[in-house]
Amino acid sequence: MRKSVIVLAGLLFLFVVTAARGQEKFIDVRQSMADNLTAVKTAVKAADWTAALEKFGKAREIWEAGVKPIILGGVKSDTQFQEYFGRIGEVETGFGVIGQLLESRNGAEVEAKVNAVIWGISHHPRGFNVPEPRYTVWDWVFGLGIGLGFLVFAIFFGLKLRRSYYRRYLKTPDRGKG
Amino acid sequence: MYSDFIITGIYLVLMFAAGLFFSRNIKNTSDYFLAARSAPWFWIMGSIWATNIGFLHGYLAHGGAAYEWGLIQANFEWFQGPFGYILSGIFFIAFYWRAGIFTVPQFLERRYGAAISTIYSFAWLIIFVVTIAAELYLGGMFLKNILHIPFWPTVFVLTAVVGTYTLLGGLGAAIMMEFVQFIIMMLGTLPLLFILLNIVGGFAGIKHVLISQWGVSSQYFTVLPDIHHPYGPGPWIILGQCLVVTLGWCAGHQSMVQRNLGARSLYDAKLGYVAASIPKTLGAFLYIVPMIAAPIIFSQFGIFVEKSDAAYGKLILNLLPQGMVGLFIAGLLSAGLSSISSVLNSSSTMVIKDFYERFFVKGKSDHHYFIAGRIATFGVIAVSLLLVPVVLKVYLIMWLEQTLIAMVLGPFMGVLMLAIFWKRANTPGSLAGFLTGGAFAIFMQQVMHINIFFQISWWSFVVTLAVTVVVSLLTKPPDKAKIEGLIWESDFKAKLGVVVSQRAETNGTRVLAVPEIKIHKPAWYLNLKYWATAVLLIQIILLFFFG
Repeated sequence: MRKSVIVLAGLLFLFVVTAARGQEKFIDVRQSMADNLTAVKTAVKAADWTAALEKFGKAREIWEAGVKPIILGGVKSDTQFQEYFGRIGEVETGFGVIGQLLESRNGAEVEAKVNAVIWGISHHPRGFNVPEPRYTVWDWVFGLGIGLGFLVFAIFFGLKLRRSYYRRYLKTPDRGKG
Repeated sequence: MYSDFIITGIYLVLMFAAGLFFSRNIKNTSDYFLAARSAPWFWIMGSIWATNIGFLHGYLAHGGAAYEWGLIQANFEWFQGPFGYILSGIFFIAFYWRAGIFTVPQFLERRYGAAISTIYSFAWLIIFVVTIAAELYLGGMFLKNILHIPFWPTVFVLTAVVGTYTLLGGLGAAIMMEFVQFIIMMLGTLPLLFILLNIVGGFAGIKHVLISQWGVSSQYFTVLPDIHHPYGPGPWIILGQCLVVTLGWCAGHQSMVQRNLGARSLYDAKLGYVAASIPKTLGAFLYIVPMIAAPIIFSQFGIFVEKSDAAYGKLILNLLPQGMVGLFIAGLLSAGLSSISSVLNSSSTMVIKDFYERFFVKGKSDHHYFIAGRIATFGVIAVSLLLVPVVLKVYLIMWLEQTLIAMVLGPFMGVLMLAIFWKRANTPGSLAGFLTGGAFAIFMQQVMHINIFFQISWWSFVVTLAVTVVVSLLTKPPDKAKIEGLIWESDFKAKLGVVVSQRAETNGTRVLAVPEIKIHKPAWYLNLKYWATAVLLIQIILLFFFG
């Protein structure tokens, strides 16, 4: 009995760990792509164009074989991928420009373009899509009228209760003997 | 990199050793679950803040939500301070303290009976287990990102360190460790703010880049957005957050309350809670403001960020010099470990006091329950560890936890308010109200697809109040003797809990010796009113400048 419980617990653990690894894949491939792009920047700074082209090639390969297929596959079933789907064009244009800059050994703008591609595969704040404020009468009615009004009432009512409690407590002859 | 590894390793070994040291005098359930009621106010202050601020409710997930939605996330700091910490410290803690209880559900049991307190305990246990799993996940991911070490071994090491000292030392060790961790957190994580503000040109610089250059809405920089905001509309923040979630969290979260119950006097408990609202308020500058500047840094320096929960780690990895990263990791691990430890200790307290002792094994020796508490601690952390992969699948961890909490806190605040302020509230009424309120919260989320948890909390609170009042009025009023000492109007008659204590003994429930309430004149700098006023002034200034 004890052995079977241990085996079952072990199997359960293996199952959840395996399931979790799948979730990490999308993170890992993008991280790997970003690491290669960062290496491109370092190589360009050192004027090592061969290394820069090699790392750029790797980053592009990871994009084509790893990141892009996951986005295209995932967007059908999961809204999480929508933001990345919308930026596929931006990333591919960026790759094109960086490729040309590296081929022509023009390092001046590589860093900015690489940073833009890395930012393109990064998660962007959803708060950036919120429109400008449109405060209405309901904001004031709910917020100030009911909300703040109740809070002020709660504080004063609470302080009054607390004062009356101690006044009564101090009049109790056997106070503190509980 | 090596220096960061070494500092992190030394920190973990020291924490482990300190935990074992603090746990050497733990001998019975009062020591284990309530730290023998010996903690002074400043321990309580540090411990409460360290409990509240972890990977989940502080730096990583909470900071991640700030990265996602902006300054609105600071409402958890700037409204929870005055409305949660101060109001709970002044009003609710006194009730729990006088009743001589171990857990919040024990208070509900004495006022309303066993059914509602069992449901409440069970709901919180689920939240606690998810919370620990989320903290472990966030800690593992954080160290993986920073030190490039594998995820699972990291999670196991974190579990072993925090599990061991909590399992052996109980609340006493947890409170002392949390106080130490509170100081490390403050000192270790503050430099990031100054480094960041220096790079981006202050708060005005962040606003200039995001609003003027990137065209981001000004709502990214307000704590009270308009009613159409998809994450936290201002009116719902005031109604749901200030009146329900914040108060319910501070008065109903076992980990928060348990630290106060471990104080050496009621005054220490109250002052500890009120004083903790200052670091709570200022906490926004440790993990909210830096995260608002984060998008600028990421795009400017080409730093990859995979999801909002990882943004904070990426920021420190790329901005801080080597060695300093290690100190920062120590500060952050302090936050995470203290939160895990407190929730773990509270979970085991609830398992033993609200389930094991009540339903399964009654009337055993104190030593029996003390050992059972340690086994429960082990069980809770084992279950949490198994849940880590499930948490991995959640897009925004903060959302998961907030949704679960919204379903519990609205109904809880409804029945708690009526329990304390309305004599007529009775068992059938509260049970009907609590269940209807909880069901309504689920209905709003699952059927109406409302994802704003402040809104869910508010309406479930209102529904709970209404149903409890109606059903209570339609059914028999509660026995006067039974509720004596448990409602505000008559609590002084209870002679500081004597009535409660005697009744509990008659019912066969085990209670602690009711602690004496000392009324003494504190030194002027320990005056509760001055501390509360200082906090309110800080809030007003912050809201004036940032609101």
